[in-house]
Amino acid sequence: MADLKKQIIEQLNLQEVTPESIGNDEPLFKEGLGLDSIDALELIVLLQQHYNIRIANPEQGPEVFYSIRSMAEFIVAQQTAKA
Amino acid sequence: MLTIYINGTGCISPQETAAGGPLLARLHEYEQVRLATVDPDYKQWIDVKQIRRMSRVVKMGVGAANLSLQAAGIAQPDAIVTGTAYGCLDDTGVFLTKMVNQQEEMLTPTAFIQSTHNTVGGQIALLLGCNGYNNTFVHRGFSFENALLDTVMMLREGNAQNILVGGLDELTQHSYQILSRFGLYKKEPVKTMELLKSPTRGTIAGEGAAFFTLGTKPGEHTAAELTGISTLYKPMWEGEVIGHIMKFLEDNACTPNDIDLLVTGRNGDIDQDDIYEEVVEALFPEHPEASFKHLCGEYPTAAGFGMWLANGILADQAVPDVAMFYGKAPRSIKKILLYNHHQGTHHSLILLSHVE
Repeated sequence: MADLKKQIIEQLNLQEVTPESIGNDEPLFKEGLGLDSIDALELIVLLQQHYNIRIANPEQGPEVFYSIRSMAEFIVAQQTAKA
Repeated sequence: MLTIYINGTGCISPQETAAGGPLLARLHEYEQVRLATVDPDYKQWIDVKQIRRMSRVVKMGVGAANLSLQAAGIAQPDAIVTGTAYGCLDDTGVFLTKMVNQQEEMLTPTAFIQSTHNTVGGQIALLLGCNGYNNTFVHRGFSFENALLDTVMMLREGNAQNILVGGLDELTQHSYQILSRFGLYKKEPVKTMELLKSPTRGTIAGEGAAFFTLGTKPGEHTAAELTGISTLYKPMWEGEVIGHIMKFLEDNACTPNDIDLLVTGRNGDIDQDDIYEEVVEALFPEHPEASFKHLCGEYPTAAGFGMWLANGILADQAVPDVAMFYGKAPRSIKKILLYNHHQGTHHSLILLSHVE
């Protein structure tokens, strides 16, 4: 999850935010980091670029991108399914 | 005719123009061919969550716009008009580079969204919550002047009382390399205060943002009115420029003798400064002359810096030593004529008058 946090900070150019300051279960959108719809697109590209994962069903978005933990669990599940 | 007042100005440039205080009191002297802005702390105007998506030129524009509105004591203008030749070049470069490197796959939206020319005007409006008229002029060396002209027309038509107008351009690694290939810049570094006496071709590259809050009523600290503005595209010869200046002065009910200070856009390129010599010799042989491109560098909207300087001179009733090019600074300055050209094709005149 630490790597994922670093990737998100870099991709979204989050300023004055460190990996340690992002809680694993903290909401990424609205409250917490306060991300918005443009960031959601950036996160979709991040999953493609770093993990070769495509979100097939857009309705999955809110669930997958709820927090760092939900993203990490989604990545692990997708990689396990591929393997 | 309706008087148009300059009620507030804001400038971010290679000099410390955002800091306030006496005009150009502390010279940033360079010995290089490429000048970059001295950036203030943009977080004083922009939330940290929003600043992360903004490239330098957007921050420059938002910063200068805020300085101008603060100086005018206006929270909400009726309209926002910007002029930029190059727009948000940095993000354009980021987006195009990604397109090439990633073979048009997996492109992220942020750089694309931020790469349009009207991004700055849009961001200022979003931050202010301004739903009024918002327009951006992209006309190379006339971008700022046309933004100014649009503003003047709107104010004269009575469609607005206060308009925020500005000109801005940034220099990026990509643009500097490309423009260098056109031979625009000097081959060797040159000192700031020696540029205008340089005997070689080419100038120094610059960038910056200058914003003005123009209104139909003067504010508490208003020092100048915008008396006139005119542009001349690709004159055939110097006589056409001289004739155009004469006609411009006549249209504004004055003669060369009424001009207390001439401010020119000399840039130290022997080929491009010729026309200033011709104009001075024909119309203003004994006039004191100030210049500004040795301070901010050459860029298509540099006339914005010139107008910011002219307004400051009228406010202080003094010309900073670093800006004087010829003669002795006059004691009383009532009218300033700013004559600038960009690459010999885009000539512009801006006439400012002192407001007592």
